[in-house]
Amino acid sequence: MIKQNIAQLEEKSIYILREANMKFKNVAALWSMGKDSTTMLALARKAFLGKIPFPVIHIDNGIDFPETYAFREQLAKKWKLNLIVANSSIKPDSVGSACCGSNKPETLKKVMKENGFDALIVSIRRDEHGIRSKERYMSPRDEKFRWKYKDQPAELWDDYASKLDEGGHVRVHPLLDWNEIDIWRYIKQEKIPINPLYFSRNGFRYRSLGCLHCTVPVKSNAKNVDEIVKELETTKIEERSGRSMDKEAEYTMQRLRSLGYM
Amino acid sequence: MAEVRSITLLGHKDHGKSTLIGSALMLTNSVTKVRINEAQKYSKKLHKNFEPAFILDSFHEEREGGLTIDITRAEILYKKIAFSLIDVPGHEELIKNMISGASYASTALLLVSAKKDEGIKGQTKRHLFIAKMMGIDYLVIAVNKMDTVAYSEKLFDSIKGELAGFITKIGFDSKNISFVPVSAYKGDNILTKSGKMQWYRGKPLLEVLYRNSGKGTLKDDGALRIALQGTLNNRKNMVAGRIVRGHIKVGEKGTCIIPLDINVSVKKIVSGGRSVKSAHVGESVALELDRDVNGDPRGSILCGESYCPIAKNKIRARIFVTGKLNGKLSIHFNGIEIGCISIKINSQIDTTIGEQIGSGKIKELNAIDAELELSKKIPAESFSSTRELGRFVLYSGKEFAGIGIVL
Repeated sequence: MIKQNIAQLEEKSIYILREANMKFKNVAALWSMGKDSTTMLALARKAFLGKIPFPVIHIDNGIDFPETYAFREQLAKKWKLNLIVANSSIKPDSVGSACCGSNKPETLKKVMKENGFDALIVSIRRDEHGIRSKERYMSPRDEKFRWKYKDQPAELWDDYASKLDEGGHVRVHPLLDWNEIDIWRYIKQEKIPINPLYFSRNGFRYRSLGCLHCTVPVKSNAKNVDEIVKELETTKIEERSGRSMDKEAEYTMQRLRSLGYM
Repeated sequence: MAEVRSITLLGHKDHGKSTLIGSALMLTNSVTKVRINEAQKYSKKLHKNFEPAFILDSFHEEREGGLTIDITRAEILYKKIAFSLIDVPGHEELIKNMISGASYASTALLLVSAKKDEGIKGQTKRHLFIAKMMGIDYLVIAVNKMDTVAYSEKLFDSIKGELAGFITKIGFDSKNISFVPVSAYKGDNILTKSGKMQWYRGKPLLEVLYRNSGKGTLKDDGALRIALQGTLNNRKNMVAGRIVRGHIKVGEKGTCIIPLDINVSVKKIVSGGRSVKSAHVGESVALELDRDVNGDPRGSILCGESYCPIAKNKIRARIFVTGKLNGKLSIHFNGIEIGCISIKINSQIDTTIGEQIGSGKIKELNAIDAELELSKKIPAESFSSTRELGRFVLYSGKEFAGIGIVL
């Protein structure tokens, strides 16, 4: 996996986070307590000199890992986060796109509407998935959360989307350029607190975190951040190989994204 | 850690841009088996031979239609350089996506198909014109599909000859241009030299890119320019921005904010979350000033007193036109939108031949030289002096209508 210049990645992310906060009236961020959105929060602390100025939303379907809930409470307190927990209910036997896919956007729509958010920071990366690699740094969604991927706005010279449809919002993607290995190198450099589920126990670790229903661990002996970086230098396995959603019917990711999935 | 160089693909539709990237990804082992298998599966499903382009083209509309709709990027590691290859659509109607992709690059990789009835098209030349106008100085031209013309040296030479004149006419420096005959699909002359073209004396494509590609273009020549984004944390003496030229030190006096016309000195600099004594071009900084800034600093610049631009509301510009110019025009410059009161067109350029034509009816996808009168003063400079402050995006109402550089 290619290691990029972390200082340059950090600079651009800070620039994008500030742009979002200055262009839009009412910004919020999604926080899943995973490595990417936690790294984004660390970057936001730098961008805004220590205090994150926007609320962070956890879409909680009630079946996240116990470690994830514990980590949420711990970091929310430590970093004085303005945390909004939005509860979504799911059927007990749902899995894949049914648990972390289709019902989450409905809950998100509700919390966005109630709070009047016009921009939502989401910590996706281009190297995660072919469909995610087609995103802009700032990408408008219409009032029904739809992504008009066949007609995305021009985005050049750091001039990001600002003309929104009535009732629409913009998705802000400050981590789009980062590779998975860069995230871990940055976590190491900045000593960012991280969910313990990423570290190997009994020969397995979680490489990408969803909820209890849709995530399985992958074989790994990487017990700490250093060992994870080393593992990623040579791995040939896809990051989201433990996520059932990615293995469903063709174009599941495209369909979900076009409908407002994160 | 790899140095990243962004390279935009260019060229007419179906001349092999996505295929070339897909092929290079596989040859350099830069893509996982899962992605390759997935592309293979869908090639089969659509009753096609294996399409390396499907590694890039992820929308089902792209795969079924056999075209690239929107941009994406893929990274290849070659001798400790990470080439970030930007795939762009070749279709005329998708030119705003091509421009978006090309805007991030300092090097272009143009594809021209040597196949019968393909060859150099108007769009091939138009892409080159746009790239040069946007400030891309390095150019590598891959003459593709050589396998379909029996690897003919004669055909390669004729394409090279026909393009060379156009390229220098629109301003490229001939020492920054290279031609390579390739077959993206077969992998000839991509990573290693192909045995099928013994007559070609040059290096394979990735080696040529390695030797002939540019880094960024930010200047640190002493003339300070910080593009301001706004005030931070509701503090009127704390501004955030990006240094687009020069560098700054704590305690630096005689800096001013234009066009707000405020003289300030810098008490504290924060970069990357740390308090620092000085900051350099390319850094996003927060600056604590010795006084409050009254008025919104967004769209302004902070610069040194001795060498700073004069804000103006009239600019001369070259514009590549992508939409109608008869609506309510505005420009996006340095983070803000400014109304355009009038536009006086002096000349029109046909971008497929690189020559002036009559300035009568303006055709989309041509370029114009024009004088713009704006609703307020902006700290614009010529593109050739400070790129970040010499360029803008043109809108007609809500529609993207073109890109401009200040002359």
